[in-house]
Amino acid sequence: MAASLRHSTLFTTVCRQLNSTLWLNVGGRSIHSSAVCCKNRAARIRVGKGDRPVTYEQALHPHQIAHRKGWLSQHTSNLQGEDGAADRTVEDLFIRRLIYGTFHGCLADELVIKRRGNLLVICALMLQKLPPHKYYFLVGYTEELLSHFYKCPVKMEIQMLEEKSVYKYL
Amino acid sequence: MAIYQDSIRVQDCFGTLHKRAGPSPPAVSFPVGRAAYSLGLTASNGVERQGLPERGNQGQRRQRRAVEPRTERMTVDQDWTAVYPTAASFKPNSVPLPVRMGYPVKRGVPPAKKGNLELIKIPNFLHLTPEAIKKHCEALKPFCTEWPAALDSDAKCEEHFPIQVESKAYVSAGPSLRNPNARIITLTVKLSSLNLDEHARKKLIRLSGERYNKDTDTLTITTDSCPMKQQNYDYAMYLLTVLYHESWKTEAWEKEKTRADMEEYVWEDSPSQKNILETLLRMRPLGEKEEEGEVREELLGRVEVQEYKDSVTKLKNEGETETNMQQYKEAVKKLLNI
Repeated sequence: MAASLRHSTLFTTVCRQLNSTLWLNVGGRSIHSSAVCCKNRAARIRVGKGDRPVTYEQALHPHQIAHRKGWLSQHTSNLQGEDGAADRTVEDLFIRRLIYGTFHGCLADELVIKRRGNLLVICALMLQKLPPHKYYFLVGYTEELLSHFYKCPVKMEIQMLEEKSVYKYL
Repeated sequence: MAIYQDSIRVQDCFGTLHKRAGPSPPAVSFPVGRAAYSLGLTASNGVERQGLPERGNQGQRRQRRAVEPRTERMTVDQDWTAVYPTAASFKPNSVPLPVRMGYPVKRGVPPAKKGNLELIKIPNFLHLTPEAIKKHCEALKPFCTEWPAALDSDAKCEEHFPIQVESKAYVSAGPSLRNPNARIITLTVKLSSLNLDEHARKKLIRLSGERYNKDTDTLTITTDSCPMKQQNYDYAMYLLTVLYHESWKTEAWEKEKTRADMEEYVWEDSPSQKNILETLLRMRPLGEKEEEGEVREELLGRVEVQEYKDSVTKLKNEGETETNMQQYKEAVKKLLNI
């Protein structure tokens, strides 16, 4: 008798548990979990209040590259059968950091780095934060330093803007 | 608005002091040559600052004058090769075109050319107008020589220059111009242009193996074992020389060439010849006892036997085709008087 009672209580608790997983019981909530899928946050400025000015480069997300955006760096190493892609990428990163620091606060937009054969061309849009003679000096200094560092001719082509060109407000 | 009035006043005062740089634009494309900016500061700011004590650069900042971009002063018939003599990125103040580039905002237009990074990113060909290319050609002409008038057809070129050497040069973007694939040399020569007799030709073909193409009768030697192009070229020429000389030599062991080593079917001394001779001998009427050798010669000299020989050789060398089989059938019928 006792054994059968125990069995029956066990049976009812099991049934109740089964009920709670299969149907939503009143007051019976269960945790539902799945694999983690994070949102992509790379190079994206999320939509905000609408008071933040962003440039074209910032407003378009990386998946728009080759659709609505071009490439910031051009060289032949990413073609089929060509070598040196990693070296060029590391050079690009170094150049971007160097110029971001040298012309701190003066850059209006991302750098564009082009390689024409041996020649390394850095195109930059600058704001008018400094007097021109300082800009001339910094450009010459960067060119000299980088050409000694990378053993290739380096040219900087900069254009001045009064203010950052705003594409939209996010 | 205050800013606008200020800029007009400033332009009147300092417009004449503007200095132009030379025909080629400086590396830094300011709106103007020297120390002048378009006004970034508002007039009201300037007024306020006068009262404050001057510190650092702020006291030395004079009124910056706004100057029009170079495009305003460009005539329609100007020399464009002076504006863009070499490959350069897009400069909005130097290109008098109202280009727009970019994806437009909703209910808007693509962004203008000023400050447009997309226009700077793309490679442009503003330095390669037809006029510029004409100038390049004119500049290169003194260094060019005429093509020799005697070599006016491909056949003549092949006749005078039978050996053709191919090499590739690689151009890529990067500090180093070395490319290991540039050392490969390909040498092609037609065997008909070499002085070879039958034995030498067969031996050369056998020695070169896969490098010989039967359809076009060309020998192709590709060398890449040396690190430099010049070394590979020398090696290829050396290989050709060695092949040529070796094919003219006859070694002692070449006498032991058997029927199985032959490159193509030869009818003389073949089982086919023996068979047909026997058959024809048997076919002759009885009673005529002649010399074996004479009979053979006579039989071999007959036209039908020659035809039979041709058809069998063709069959064996070229394989079985409709025409070959037909020819063989006809030859056999004629021989056996069917």
